[in-house]
Amino acid sequence: MTAALEGFLQALTAGLLIGAVYGLMCVGLGLIFGVMRVINFAQGDFMMLGMYAAFYFFTALGVQATFGNTFGPFVAILLAGPVLAVFGYAIHLVLISRVSGTRTTSLEGEGHYAQLILTLGIALILQNGGLIVFGSVLASIRTPLSSSAWELGPLLNDISVFVNKARGIDAVVSLVTMILLTLLITRSRLGKSLRAAADNPTAATYMGIDVDRAHRVAFALGTGITAIAGGLLATNYPFHPFVGVEYVIVMYAGVVLGGMGSIIGAFWGGMTIGLVQQMSTLVLPTQLQNAAIFVVFLLIIFFRPQGFFGRMVERT
Amino acid sequence: MLHIEGLTAGYSAIPVLNGISIKVEHGQFVAIVGPNGAGKTTLFKTISGIVRPSAGTITFEGADLLSVHPARRPHLGIAHVPEGRQVFPSLTVMENLEMGAMTEAGHRDWKRNIERIFEWLPVLAERRDQFAGTLSGGQQQMLAIGRGLASSPKLLMLDEPSMGLAPTVADFIFERLIEIRRQSKLTILLVEQRVAEALESADHGYVLEAGRVALEGNNETLRADDRVRKAYLGM
Repeated sequence: MTAALEGFLQALTAGLLIGAVYGLMCVGLGLIFGVMRVINFAQGDFMMLGMYAAFYFFTALGVQATFGNTFGPFVAILLAGPVLAVFGYAIHLVLISRVSGTRTTSLEGEGHYAQLILTLGIALILQNGGLIVFGSVLASIRTPLSSSAWELGPLLNDISVFVNKARGIDAVVSLVTMILLTLLITRSRLGKSLRAAADNPTAATYMGIDVDRAHRVAFALGTGITAIAGGLLATNYPFHPFVGVEYVIVMYAGVVLGGMGSIIGAFWGGMTIGLVQQMSTLVLPTQLQNAAIFVVFLLIIFFRPQGFFGRMVERT
Repeated sequence: MLHIEGLTAGYSAIPVLNGISIKVEHGQFVAIVGPNGAGKTTLFKTISGIVRPSAGTITFEGADLLSVHPARRPHLGIAHVPEGRQVFPSLTVMENLEMGAMTEAGHRDWKRNIERIFEWLPVLAERRDQFAGTLSGGQQQMLAIGRGLASSPKLLMLDEPSMGLAPTVADFIFERLIEIRRQSKLTILLVEQRVAEALESADHGYVLEAGRVALEGNNETLRADDRVRKAYLGM
């Protein structure tokens, strides 16, 4: 009984910690897909680039030498965010802007078909380009904190819960980033103008909002956020150029689960997936983790099709 | 203030507007009337830059408007209250009004503007935290007008504010518009299918038919014109 309870609490803790990082990952896509309604299948591969950017910042560009082994990785990860945001901005300027923003009015299916094909193409190029540039050897951003833990407890019945230090910090960084982004989107003039541009591009132009620029800013922000989440994951999980494929589906599931258009929703969507993934290991073999995620996903969507925070508001 | 000369524009090879010339002077209330498909909405979209003209010129306060990026035009002082209202459904009433104030002048005058808007259209104050998508048609129309006013415009362009509304609601909105104009002395360019009401309150009117100006004049001339009386006023 005690052992079962201990296992449960340990899985719950692991789920909450990994869920926070998944949540941040989903928030990045939530901005691009949920809020701006642009389909981006290269989001996982942007995350992969974020992981490698953090990796090279840490190992080759002096972050390790300056900030040391313990906190250096987190500095490198936070640096990777802005770099990938600039990358996202450039990709949008050159490619995505042709199939989004003000162009969508003249495209079939609001530009979604074109976005799908274009971003799948970008994904393939990034994956295989990554294989050429980075090689197929697993990389990781290890800190000594990745293999040490805080002990919570002993709680009742002498049960202790162990919190991996790196994952603990990952979760805190994720939460803070998510809250800052939520404030930006809901409170600031910039955030409101992004939502207006997504709601009705023509009317937004009548307000003096440069819709294409709004889309570009949102795309850059979303890319940067997902890159940070990727870097945080890499403190515990080794990665390779094809790592994006594993996560992009989780991101879409998280955004839909949380409710389209809601940043906080996307976070809770990701959190739910992290929790289900970790808790399922209590009763199911590890290989069925992902199956468990999608069974729960289908159940939730069956009973609440608009997602946790989705609104049934008519969009024009 | 707004001078349109020989404007030709459309969506494909066939022009919807065919060499239109229209003048709006400072402080004037100008109405453009005409049947469906005459090109009234296209004219507005061309002024706002959503449709590119193939010929003609538009100048606003002496400057060439066609060389200005569409998203910059509102900052010059042109507010476009579009056909079918087009409020931002997933933003609240207050956020919609804030979007109107995205222009430099609107941002500067926000406090004064919002007070006046709430005074003129009190229903917006009552519903300020409600999502715009959940408002009734008439309320959305008032929000669209308030959103236009929030930009501190020099020229307010209204595209069929009565469209799709119950006659009593449309009457109320017209009455509000006349009151707003009386107090603010705003220059207004109105497109309307309710010809009698539009011509009654306007200083100057244009009748648009099949992409051409069929008739123009001040409100007495137009209302006395036989063709207008027969075709639009039902007399």
